[in-house]
Amino acid sequence: MRRDPARLLARYLLLAAAVVLLNFLIPRLLPGDPLDPGGAEGMTAATPLPAEARARIADYYGLNEPLGRQLTDYLGDLARGDLGWSIAQPAPVARLILERLPWTLALMLTALALSTLLGTALGLLAGWRAGRPLDRALVSLSGALSAIPEFLIGIGLLAVFSVGLGWFPLMGGRTVFAAYGDGPGATVHRLSDAAWHLALPATALALAGIAGFLLLARDTTAGLRGESWLTVARAKGLPVRQVVLRHALPNLALPLLTFFSLRLGAVLGGALVVERVFGIPGLGLLAFQAVRARDYPVLQAEFLLASLGVLLANLLAELAYLRLDPRRGAGHG
Amino acid sequence: MVRVTRRRLLHRGALLTGGAAASAMLARCGGSQAQEGGAPPAATSTTGAPISVTTPTAPAGSPAQATDAVRFAWWTDVGYPTPFQVSTTGPGGAVLLTLIYDTLTWKNEEAIIPWLAERWEAAPDGMAYTFWLVTGATWHDGQPLTASDAVFSFQYYRDHPYRWMATPMVASAEDGPDDGSVHITLTQPYAAFLEEIAGIVPIVPRHVWEPVADPTTYEGADRAIGSGPFTLAAYDSAAGAYRLEANEGYWRGRPRIREWQQFTVPAEARIQVVQQGNADLSLSADASVETLIADDSPLRVFATAPLSLVRLVCNTERAPLNRREVRQAIAYALDRARIAETVTRGPAIVGSAGVVPPETPWFNPSLPQYPYDPERARALLGGQQYTIELIADTGAREPDLMTPMLAAVGITLDVKRVDAPTRTHLLSEGAFQLALTSHIGVGGDPDYLRRWYAGEEANTFAQGSIFRHDEYARLGEEAAATLDPERRRQIVFRMQEILAEELPTIVLYHRRFYWVYDPRVFTPMETWGGLMNGIPFPNNKLTLIEG
Repeated sequence: MRRDPARLLARYLLLAAAVVLLNFLIPRLLPGDPLDPGGAEGMTAATPLPAEARARIADYYGLNEPLGRQLTDYLGDLARGDLGWSIAQPAPVARLILERLPWTLALMLTALALSTLLGTALGLLAGWRAGRPLDRALVSLSGALSAIPEFLIGIGLLAVFSVGLGWFPLMGGRTVFAAYGDGPGATVHRLSDAAWHLALPATALALAGIAGFLLLARDTTAGLRGESWLTVARAKGLPVRQVVLRHALPNLALPLLTFFSLRLGAVLGGALVVERVFGIPGLGLLAFQAVRARDYPVLQAEFLLASLGVLLANLLAELAYLRLDPRRGAGHG
Repeated sequence: MVRVTRRRLLHRGALLTGGAAASAMLARCGGSQAQEGGAPPAATSTTGAPISVTTPTAPAGSPAQATDAVRFAWWTDVGYPTPFQVSTTGPGGAVLLTLIYDTLTWKNEEAIIPWLAERWEAAPDGMAYTFWLVTGATWHDGQPLTASDAVFSFQYYRDHPYRWMATPMVASAEDGPDDGSVHITLTQPYAAFLEEIAGIVPIVPRHVWEPVADPTTYEGADRAIGSGPFTLAAYDSAAGAYRLEANEGYWRGRPRIREWQQFTVPAEARIQVVQQGNADLSLSADASVETLIADDSPLRVFATAPLSLVRLVCNTERAPLNRREVRQAIAYALDRARIAETVTRGPAIVGSAGVVPPETPWFNPSLPQYPYDPERARALLGGQQYTIELIADTGAREPDLMTPMLAAVGITLDVKRVDAPTRTHLLSEGAFQLALTSHIGVGGDPDYLRRWYAGEEANTFAQGSIFRHDEYARLGEEAAATLDPERRRQIVFRMQEILAEELPTIVLYHRRFYWVYDPRVFTPMETWGGLMNGIPFPNNKLTLIEG
């Protein structure tokens, strides 16, 4: 089928508009009220919020307006780049998001890079030795890992490496109120502190996602082994390493790219859970708090960012596909 | 591990009676007695709450030496610590504010005590209060704190309510008859005023907030200026972390610690963080936390008074819970001691049928109770079989224990698990039969007994008109307006009797919180009736300052 970048873009814009509408509606469809969220851990106080005070606060946040009016206000604010104010922890939503975005990006990208590299390398190895014990062991291991949810892997890692061995911190994205000092050394300290804190959560997220890359690379490589051009390459006496890296690996690029873009959404979902387990101050933890508080402005912004991020990644993957695979470009059926 | 012996509250009944008598006497005397040590005149009580006539001091046995920092591992970010921006989803924000701001009154281990107001008087009809402020109090920026700030605060809160404790009963606030005094007029007599309003609502600086039209979005550098023992030095909203520095010139006494830090730690890791030495204080609702502390550990566990309760809310307007016998049968059918022991992994404090927890000032010890008695439950049900839907939070363990107990007497429990906001929503809509809820806020002034069922508040407990009882409603109004402490005690005791008989709510058990702490840097303090309105936190600012 012919792919036209302009039509592709138009389709994605339409999707983005639908996503904005859904992001507005979904938080409001949840039962509950941002002014009466319940609280956490049985520490909710029986605190009176008199009807008059409540009405005043509801008016302030526009919660008493008809839904249509709330939507137009939201779209107007969005057009001006204003994501609104958090109801649960009054602060600009944009600031809350920006403070937390680097943590989630660092966690996601580290985990994705680890799972892609490790999964692909192990998959190549397994595929090249398809049917042999190493292949069977790797496939079994990846199957087992994919069956364990991220949070359970995270708790296991915490139990062994934090509680047991004490090698890594129990929680948080950095040492609270650490004095890093000034100058270039401070940046190194800050980054190494963050890396130390992110090591276990990123590993948990990476381990949970490794299986997909491994199996994809393994199956594709195993399928390639019978190809005549690969037989020729081997017959020419090229070293195995060169055959694999120079001839087999490029053939994995397209399926891996597709899988990578599809994984983005899953990794974001996984990050949400992992951040909660490890207390990483990222978007996942913010979303968790916002859902519990029914904090509409924060939920809207989080959903918007996540869905537009995934849409953008998919769009880029499709555009990259057009460039990488000449058969999918213009003029080909 | 050594469990700290709290000041037993056995004598609190005596305190209540004695304190009430003392305060009644003070009320009759017009509030002009001298405080110990030649201090200014004492407070005048107009409520059932005891009023201390001594200058507050830190609890006995607290460490004399100054400490560098206390690090508190807690559960959430609570936003920027101003009364207009702090989160009030739970008590954390309100408690944090008490370290930065001051209130007119405060509470120590035994009573309501003077704070920013060194004395006060109530009008005989309870419709007005006059407070005389201390001299020498200053704001963190060095400006003097005056009566004008207190007047401004109450005026400002009318347009910009403090979400933890709104002040709808305040009709006006104006300068009092003398220099340094404030006169507050109420819309109706409110017996809980000294504890719940004067003791909770932070006094804010006029010079900061008067020019601010929208305090919710105000981001000036001066927005966290208070008069409390600590100043805000750093706030990391992403990590939910706060660093407060000692206000060395604090008007009430020098802080014992240089820094108060608190930061968010997931529940699963909180106690371990203290054990690993990365925090000095944290909490758990699980009594078995005591077993986690090694014998040779310097850490201690402080068990609070049972100011939290886990209870069933009955919708008395929907069958079959509109029948008192069915509610009573449920109470008899449940082995509440076993439920409490299993869930809290500690000794059970079976719920009082009158709601008010034991070991607290307003507890009526003479109520009929409902011991575990399945036979009696079956007799009350008269052989009828019922299916009742129970709304419970997703993680609650009690429904699993309740189901077979109720099945044994002919009640099938249909458990519907929801998250906390959904539960709150269903309750406020009255769209439930039976709901399981747990919360704090039941140790302080007993006005909550009225509010839960008065239908005037938009909170979890009021909407849905789930308990209509004319005598109870009348008594609630009377208690709220009764200034004579002995009369008020009688009314509150009678309200508990009605609750015990009618059971619109069945308290499964009362719950303590267990605070793990390092005694080298922190001394826990149990506040009379809980911090502010019944909050089981041990970090009363009195324990953090020199007496």
